[in-house]
Amino acid sequence: MSESFEKLQNRILSDAKVRAEDIIREAEEKARQTLEQAKTRALKEADETLSRARLEAEALRRRILSSRIRANRLRILDEKNRIVQQVMQSVENALADITADERFPDTLKRFVTEAVEAVGADEPIVRIGFREISKNQTDAIGKSVSKGTKLVIDEQALDGLGGVVASDPEGKILYNNSFKARLDRLDSQLLTLISSTIFRE
Amino acid sequence: MSGIEAVKRIVETEAKARTIVEEARVRAQQILSQASQETENVRQHVLSSAKARREEILQSAREHAESEAGKSDVETTQQLEGYRKAFEGRKELAVKKAVELVLRG
Repeated sequence: MSESFEKLQNRILSDAKVRAEDIIREAEEKARQTLEQAKTRALKEADETLSRARLEAEALRRRILSSRIRANRLRILDEKNRIVQQVMQSVENALADITADERFPDTLKRFVTEAVEAVGADEPIVRIGFREISKNQTDAIGKSVSKGTKLVIDEQALDGLGGVVASDPEGKILYNNSFKARLDRLDSQLLTLISSTIFRE
Repeated sequence: MSGIEAVKRIVETEAKARTIVEEARVRAQQILSQASQETENVRQHVLSSAKARREEILQSAREHAESEAGKSDVETTQQLEGYRKAFEGRKELAVKKAVELVLRG
């Protein structure tokens, strides 16, 4: 009776210990799994972060480079434009002083002829205006035009740089052969010519 | 041993058994709690390492790009210097040709 009672007590305690060990083992196993899963998830997230970072890095590299290359292209364009404008300014200065050039008499005749032919009137009116044009020069051109042509000598340079403007008597047809007008008409050719001469491009 | 004494001892033994199981449950809870904390620590460590590596990758890319861009700057500066020299050397010729074009049309 006493021995079996003791066995019963031991059995109760032994069962409790087994149960306790199971509880702890289950907890340890659950903890191990939780940790393992968390590690796997974290490593996956880390991989994704690094993959995105590599894409971001490439985008950043391209952004920095393209921005700087664009800025440098603008620097080059600005400088080329500045140089061409300086040349154009010198061209305008040279044209404004054309009356002192030996080519002026022939040039003036040609400008007048072009303008008169463009208007196509029998009695055209031709305005001439150059800075510091001499009486000899205006007299010479007066002798070279046809009889019906009316010459008007302007004291000011036409359009600022000088030139010739022809019209019919009613003023309905007008041909502007001033330097400014010619520069505008030749704008694209001039830019090409200046660029190819300076930059050899 | 009397019957009452026996019952009393059994009750005491069962109380001990419950205590053993209860202590195991408490210990299990501690294990899970520690695991939870450790999980969070591992996660933070892995992610903060990744974040630091991300910053390194971006910084490296930035430095490489700046270096490449610097070469472009140098080339551009040399090109501009070439243009300035070309301008000085060929300006008169360009003006002459341009004036001729305007005069001849």
